[in-house]
Amino acid sequence: MPKITIDGREIEVDAGATILEAAERLGIEIPTMCFLRDREATTSCMVCVVKVAGATGLLPACGTIVQEGMQVENDCEDVREARKAALELLLSDHVGDCLGPCVMGCPAHMNIPLMIRQIAAGRLHEAIVTVKRDIALPAVLGRICPAPCEKACRRRQHDEAVSICLLKRYVAGVDLQTGTPYVPPCLPKRGKRVAVVGAGPAGLAAAYYLQREGFDCTVFDDHDEPGGMLRYGLSADELPREVLTREIATIEQVGVEFRLGTRIGDSVSMDEIRSRYDAVFIGIGQLKPGDAESLGIEATSDSIKADGRTYATNVAGIFAGGDAVRSRRLTVRAVADGKEAAESIRQYLTGEDVVGPARIFNSRMGKLQDGEMETFLASASSQSRRTPSGQSGGFVDAEARAESLRCLHCDCRKPDTCRLRRYAQGYDARQAKYKAQRRPLVQHAQHPQVIYEPGKCIDCGICIQIASDAGEELGLTFVGRGFDVRMAMPFDASLAEALQETAAACVAACPTGALAFKTEVDTSSGDSDA
Amino acid sequence: MLRQATTEELDLTFVDQTIERVGTGKDKVLELLQAIQGHYGYLPQEALERVVELTEITPASITGVSTFYDQFRHRPAGRHTIHVCVGTACHVKGADAVHEAFLRYLNVPEGDDTDPDRMFTVEKIACLGCCTLAPAVQIDDVTYGHMTRESVPKVLNDFLKHEHDGATRRRSRKRRAVKKRSGAEIRIGLGSCCVARGSGKLHRALQDALIQTGIKVPVKRVGCVGMCHQTPLLEVVLPDETSFLYARVQPEDAKPIILRHFGARGPHRKLSTAVSRTLDRWLTDESWGPVTRYSIHVRDQAVSDFLGRQIHITTEHCGHIDPVDIEEYLRNDGFKALEKTVGELNPDVVIAQIEASGLRGRGGAGFPTHLKWAAVRAIEAQTKYIVCNGDEGDPGAFMDRMLMESYPYRIIEGMAVAAHCVGARQGYLYIRAEYPLAIQRVAEAIETCRQRGFLGENILGSDFSLDLKIVAGAGAFVCGEETALLASIEGRRGMPRLRPPYPAQKGLWGRPTLINNVETYASVPWIIRNGAEAYAAIGTGKSKGTKVFALAGKVARGGLIEVPMGISIRQIVDEIGGGIGSGLKFKAVQVGGPSGGCIPVGRDNLSVDYETLTEAGAMMGSGGLVVLDESDCMVDISRYFLQFTQNQSCGKCTFCRIGTRRMLDILERLCAGEGQMSDLDELERLARMIKKGSLCGLGKTAPNPVLSTMTYFRAEYEAHVAGRCPAGKCKALIKYAITDDCIGCTLCAQHCPVDAIDMKPYEKHEIDVEKCIRCGTCKSVCPADAVRVE
Repeated sequence: MPKITIDGREIEVDAGATILEAAERLGIEIPTMCFLRDREATTSCMVCVVKVAGATGLLPACGTIVQEGMQVENDCEDVREARKAALELLLSDHVGDCLGPCVMGCPAHMNIPLMIRQIAAGRLHEAIVTVKRDIALPAVLGRICPAPCEKACRRRQHDEAVSICLLKRYVAGVDLQTGTPYVPPCLPKRGKRVAVVGAGPAGLAAAYYLQREGFDCTVFDDHDEPGGMLRYGLSADELPREVLTREIATIEQVGVEFRLGTRIGDSVSMDEIRSRYDAVFIGIGQLKPGDAESLGIEATSDSIKADGRTYATNVAGIFAGGDAVRSRRLTVRAVADGKEAAESIRQYLTGEDVVGPARIFNSRMGKLQDGEMETFLASASSQSRRTPSGQSGGFVDAEARAESLRCLHCDCRKPDTCRLRRYAQGYDARQAKYKAQRRPLVQHAQHPQVIYEPGKCIDCGICIQIASDAGEELGLTFVGRGFDVRMAMPFDASLAEALQETAAACVAACPTGALAFKTEVDTSSGDSDA
Repeated sequence: MLRQATTEELDLTFVDQTIERVGTGKDKVLELLQAIQGHYGYLPQEALERVVELTEITPASITGVSTFYDQFRHRPAGRHTIHVCVGTACHVKGADAVHEAFLRYLNVPEGDDTDPDRMFTVEKIACLGCCTLAPAVQIDDVTYGHMTRESVPKVLNDFLKHEHDGATRRRSRKRRAVKKRSGAEIRIGLGSCCVARGSGKLHRALQDALIQTGIKVPVKRVGCVGMCHQTPLLEVVLPDETSFLYARVQPEDAKPIILRHFGARGPHRKLSTAVSRTLDRWLTDESWGPVTRYSIHVRDQAVSDFLGRQIHITTEHCGHIDPVDIEEYLRNDGFKALEKTVGELNPDVVIAQIEASGLRGRGGAGFPTHLKWAAVRAIEAQTKYIVCNGDEGDPGAFMDRMLMESYPYRIIEGMAVAAHCVGARQGYLYIRAEYPLAIQRVAEAIETCRQRGFLGENILGSDFSLDLKIVAGAGAFVCGEETALLASIEGRRGMPRLRPPYPAQKGLWGRPTLINNVETYASVPWIIRNGAEAYAAIGTGKSKGTKVFALAGKVARGGLIEVPMGISIRQIVDEIGGGIGSGLKFKAVQVGGPSGGCIPVGRDNLSVDYETLTEAGAMMGSGGLVVLDESDCMVDISRYFLQFTQNQSCGKCTFCRIGTRRMLDILERLCAGEGQMSDLDELERLARMIKKGSLCGLGKTAPNPVLSTMTYFRAEYEAHVAGRCPAGKCKALIKYAITDDCIGCTLCAQHCPVDAIDMKPYEKHEIDVEKCIRCGTCKSVCPADAVRVE
């Protein structure tokens, strides 16, 4: 049994084992995309390269058989650099967005396409779960948001944006009308307390997410009713008070405590707050003279100075967001601030480095080229944007359904399981590293459940192996050579003809979103965290 | 050849018959596809479906394989196919312009490759291996050399005319027995280069002349002499063994030459005086090139220089043995090495001799040959294979083609010796389909060997048996990589795999396999016959013996040369090659093709051996030497090679598949004048990454052309960033203009393919830079040298 070392740690493995297997036994994770357990390594993605003493160049861990005395380096600059380069090369030839442009446009990064597909599938409860994962006050925002998401919507390049904002309002409205609106579950109590100063959109959002994270939140506000500018800055025409009240009630149901009519600096001093709470979030809206002094934090003439990423103020443990820290006012931005600051506060309270919300890698395909819109439109409704006929300008069921079908589904179907995205994130890879003409978007959508997007394929050949091993009559193959090698169906057959038995297995094994189920409806995994 | 251009009901009888003949195994896919393509001119889907129906070949396999190799087309072609060679030597001599000229002349629609009448399909081909004829094209099976934009119409006319004549000739020719005139013979070079330069026509003219004159002298075809710059070559040997070598002989010269040496009878006598007068004039007429006494009386300095430094080991007896005449091979010590091996020598002794000789793999990497042999020998296995790598895909190289065409028995003998040593009983020669003559000669030689007991059961009365088969490659450079080559023989896409396991352990169909290059095997008989010491006495410390090089490009005397290891680049270029032919300055030598690099003029005293070349950033490679002059742009050369590798990459590993493409992106930006200084750093970084991270030799060496030129010619890269191409090559960075020297002859206007010059007789002409495609035609036709590149 050969004995080898990986990063200086010794292990004895069976003869014939690979470096990847040896590393696994040591609990060392080596990234790999093209390797599938129990199958011969295809050694194609080269993301698993390691350095072996004495060898020229780097070797793929998945296919390199261990030899007695081998000294392997997995954690070194050379290896990291090469892996990052491999990922950046793959990304330079990756046609697709991880998330829809609408998600990127939304300050709260709500998973809009998912919500829309849930509406289309009539799974409205799941839709509100999706919405509330990122937006604390959807019914409110559904009425007053200027909808930056719609400005980013791809469909605008064809006709008009999908009516995202109204769909969100619809989902929230349906939820409120049930009488027992959705209340998200909370993590077990962590025994820490957070004071939130200001019951406006930023404060409400911060409290909502902190409470869900297991922190006890108390919201202080000098008004008698919560809502801040939503209540006192908008007319009832713009935002019916009932909607506001009912939506805030759901925040209360999560467990947030409200101390209204309480002005910090008057009835309660900031020192007292700081002594009784483990952290403070300040979301007091537009700053008035004297506010900063009474809170004891640094401010400029019109706003509190807070870190753009972590929302931390100059005082440890005090964070600030919303209109109090920025001059351009947008409710959805304030809601997003509250959510993101909640994450920083969580980090602060659990002793992690306070870095703010994780930067998630997102592939971007950029502007559509000629003909590509047609590809997307092929699986979307051709109808034009709906005008709502419902009460005070909202969608009725049929309209919401019809509007939801207009979504192009231009986001990736496997953003959470894609290994390319995961490693790109882990190795800090940049998609724009190499200037390149991107390939045209192609979708093979004839299969009833599965879609194939060659632009997302990394040519690993796993699906080809699976189909061949299972004895598929047609199966799959590589076609072409060089840069233009693609996985394809023999004789230009459809995917449905090619994969009679193994479509699901291929989707599961595909390391990217190249092979995916068309919609989430068919997955058993579900998207509900309820 | 039946070529169907329409999709009406296809007659599949041919497919059925071919399957019947070839077999139904999975490994038959290449052979079947080649037959189908040969018959239909492309691969009709119905035919492929029929193959799947009747054989073990799967739809996935046939689709994958038929789209991997360059040889195959999936849409109908025209009646004739024009292959424009874009090998290195052709590239530097303007192959792109020739390709474009064919498309233009034939009015091929944009995006298509066939003219509207479906007469000609124009395709690029990686390398025809006729580098001394650069730029070369092949129309069906006829090769034309030294093409220019202007010669396109002539060549097409010639082809159509001879196609017609050839058909008539083939019908009317009768064979007549030729009585041998004792001792005398006429030798004619019939390697591909010679044939391309008209030796086929000359051969026919000679035979016609002999019939007409009634003179009976055997005409013998001989292999390549290597003097490709002098072809067609004709050697007349008289009974007293004096010989006369004629260079660049035309068909119409056949009769005068015969009459001169072998006299005339009857009605011809009258002509003799006139003939000798003609001949005398011709002999002194320099435009016809030198007529040189050959063999021991080498008078012509150029010939003696060309041949003087050479040592013929793999090319032993070059120029005077008939490639497929086994008797002659036997008279010249043929199969003595095999006899010794199966008779008296223990395989371990033979391997020890190979070790002592210092022979290293001639395919490029220089791995010690004896180690491979010993590794295969050491493994106990029922079945072992021996494979000869004749997939010489390196553009700019044609050594292996020449060896296979000229010395097929020597290669077979080398393989047989090796097979005996390692215990293999079955072997394959994998030969590029672009080398039809090599395939034909080797096939003929194998058949003769079988009949004469040098192959088959119980060779030379021993218990050693060996059978050899030819597998024709189908156009994929990566198949020169040994694991890819084995995959290809097995009927799969030629995708390399990670080594180990090496082929010696797990090769063809999982069995231990010895795989060596053509030249390596061809060296073996000489070593066994003359002893390891004799071989090791030639060369340098670590690189022993000789190396065959294909010398081409801007050199005055291109050709095939076999030189001792350790000779300097300068000796090759200046002494053997006669320096630069154009009168321009010598700039660099590209050694080793897409895996190699450029050695600049300042370092041309480098010793040609494995280690020195690698240290200099180049590589021995298979042995292509393309000489570059000051009109060659090094950024363009890099772009050319990366274009090649990104297309030839098997597409498996990320670094090679996408990395080479990204390098090409940067090089294209540089050539288009859109590069930035940061691009140069990125190019270098990417190059080093690809070398480190690629799976196989193709990827690991693909950045070499870029790295070596960046090392030696960095200023040229920087000039491109600044928007200048010092060599005046990169179209986006240059402008053509007419100077005051213009004499108003209108030639430029007449020849301009895009009418960018208005015809103004007796006036100074002007070029419309908007219309100009920078093809350089005006400059080449201008009699007053009044076209300037800015």
